[in-house]
Amino acid sequence: METAVSLRDVAKVFGSFRAVDGVSFDVPRGDIFGILGPNGAGKTTTIRMIMDILRPDEGEIRVLGERLGDGLKDRIGYLPEERGLYRKMKVAEMLEFHGAIKGMSRTEARRAALLWLDRLQLGEWKERKVEELSKGMQQKAQFVAAVLAKPDLLVLDEPFSGMDPVNQSLFKDVILDLNRTGTTILFSTHQMETAEKLCRRIVLIDHGKVVREGVLAEIKAGFGRSSVLLEFDGDGGFLRWLPHVIGVDDYGQSVEVLLEPGADPQKLLAEASSKLRIRRFEVVSPTLHSIFIALVGGESPHA
Amino acid sequence: MHKVLTVIRREYLERVRKKSWWIGTFVIPLLILGLMFGMVSLFMMRTEQQRRIGLADGSGALFEPLQEAVAEKKLKDGRPQILLERLPLLGSVEATRKAAEPRIGKKDLYAIVTAEKDLYAENAFRFYGQNVGNIQIIAAVERALAEVVVRVRFERSGLAADRAEIERLMAPVDLETFQISETGEARKRGFNQAIYGTFIFIVILYMALLLYGIAVMRGVLEEKSNRVMEVLLGSMSPRQLMVGKILGIGLVGLTQMAVYAATAGALRMWVGAQNIQGDLAGMLDSVSPLKMAYFVVFFVLGYFLYVGIFAAIGAVCNSEQEAQNLQTPVTMILVVPYAASFFVIANPDSMLATVGSLIPFFTPILMYARISTISPPVWEIALSIALLLLSIWLVFRGVAKIFRVGVLMYGKRPTIPEILRWARD
Repeated sequence: METAVSLRDVAKVFGSFRAVDGVSFDVPRGDIFGILGPNGAGKTTTIRMIMDILRPDEGEIRVLGERLGDGLKDRIGYLPEERGLYRKMKVAEMLEFHGAIKGMSRTEARRAALLWLDRLQLGEWKERKVEELSKGMQQKAQFVAAVLAKPDLLVLDEPFSGMDPVNQSLFKDVILDLNRTGTTILFSTHQMETAEKLCRRIVLIDHGKVVREGVLAEIKAGFGRSSVLLEFDGDGGFLRWLPHVIGVDDYGQSVEVLLEPGADPQKLLAEASSKLRIRRFEVVSPTLHSIFIALVGGESPHA
Repeated sequence: MHKVLTVIRREYLERVRKKSWWIGTFVIPLLILGLMFGMVSLFMMRTEQQRRIGLADGSGALFEPLQEAVAEKKLKDGRPQILLERLPLLGSVEATRKAAEPRIGKKDLYAIVTAEKDLYAENAFRFYGQNVGNIQIIAAVERALAEVVVRVRFERSGLAADRAEIERLMAPVDLETFQISETGEARKRGFNQAIYGTFIFIVILYMALLLYGIAVMRGVLEEKSNRVMEVLLGSMSPRQLMVGKILGIGLVGLTQMAVYAATAGALRMWVGAQNIQGDLAGMLDSVSPLKMAYFVVFFVLGYFLYVGIFAAIGAVCNSEQEAQNLQTPVTMILVVPYAASFFVIANPDSMLATVGSLIPFFTPILMYARISTISPPVWEIALSIALLLLSIWLVFRGVAKIFRVGVLMYGKRPTIPEILRWARD
């Protein structure tokens, strides 16, 4: 398997805190790959090491088959979690700058920038200053800066955070488009719904360690149809402590109960109906969301 | 290289496009020039009005010689500037003045000068007028009066009766200063004027080193706080970013300094062509092409020495308030040679000045001050530049590491020992 990114036993230590602790995974070329995990799991640190912004204290990272170096950065597009643009520059000029520092000539960068601006309906704003743009438009401009130089690998750290649904779906389409034309996509998120829709493979990180890694469909299959959707009246707090229950995800109106693989949902129904008034009972495939919660020990990913 | 050039271009254009930079680069020197010309021409301008001054002379010996003396100063049309009128004595000098005073209010008289009977008495001479700020008139009267009174004293003492001999005795003693220039040629020169010219450029050097250093610091802080930093680091190494930023802003400063030096050079040529003598010419002597070249060289070297430290401060801080604390000691180091330059200009070849100008952090200002006032030995200049280059190299070795670690640090500012540890390993 040709890999776009490969990590071997990578660790990063800040003082006495091991932010990333022996992480290994491979991102195949042409894939859409998700790094999932709760806040503080080590996602951003991992991504910064892939971008050669931080140096790992242990282990080895190879990107696009090479060891990290400055020339390599030209082939990688990067959208950091904390976004920033030169606010005083004009949009087209700013994009031209971002293209040029990726090794493009300025005319080439300008042409590409104008194409992208038109595609994202930002063409009329090209001569305006960045600070005049609305937040949504700035998100678009920032995205263009990352993809301008036709990267072989696009690294996105929490790309959808803070976006309205319109932009979310726009960027999802653009990312899929780029992927179809050969760009490998690596992104981190704690929004399981997005990851579930986009990713072919994922790695789940918690406390700096890999909890699960592999093809998303296979990970889900490992849990089988072992999830139960329940709606009821009464206090369902005891459900978490029943035998064979791995996790409970409370949505308020309903709960999703994740069972151990092979456990019998009928037993759960019997236990539950003895104490609660059941209004709905449905056996389903577990969502990535509930798997996530079960695996990282009940910490809410939205915390 | 392409990346560094792109950063340099962006930094340069962003700053050069600012109105404040244009004002600082072109308008302020023009204002200073205008002010200088204004002062010089105001000073040289003659009041085109004839002034009638009344003399109440208690001694009775002053009128004729004084009239003769003040008549030497002529208006453009050839009439004497001051017209002296004898006020007939009415009992006392005091009474004479009082009687004539209303004529000043009626503009009939410009002023009244009184002289007591005893020419040796303290405060024997007084000037009364509505406008006592007209230095030209007062100076002219004073000069004439001094000359005349001393002559009368001589005559009365009987030491010398002959008028020619009196003039010989009274011939002024003038100490002329000569400067041995770089070419070994002795040139007549006023020391005071040399100080002005040197001092203007020392102020510029001090301000430029401080302001452009702080500009780099602010630039780094800004990129940290608006989070552009991480996007940039996704495209280039911290070293490339730092080099690009420092060179870009340095070029902006260099452009400005070159404009200043060229303006001074042009003014010097113009003054040379006009054959103007005196204060202005003396002042411009300190802006010879060689001295201006040294000025630019010491700006560049000083900039590189200080800017590294400012860049590192920007990298480890999160806000300007935080940076202020770290910035203060650096500013202090820069203030020392600036303050010492007063002494160094006055004693450019003293031991203290020589040693001070060889300390790298003081070299840019102090060595320039010495070059501008005397011609220090070439080996001293060469040594100071060598030490400066060595210090720049040492500073940057540490700064590059601090920058790399610092730019992505948010949150608590590291302590100075921590920062120094980064610089070492």
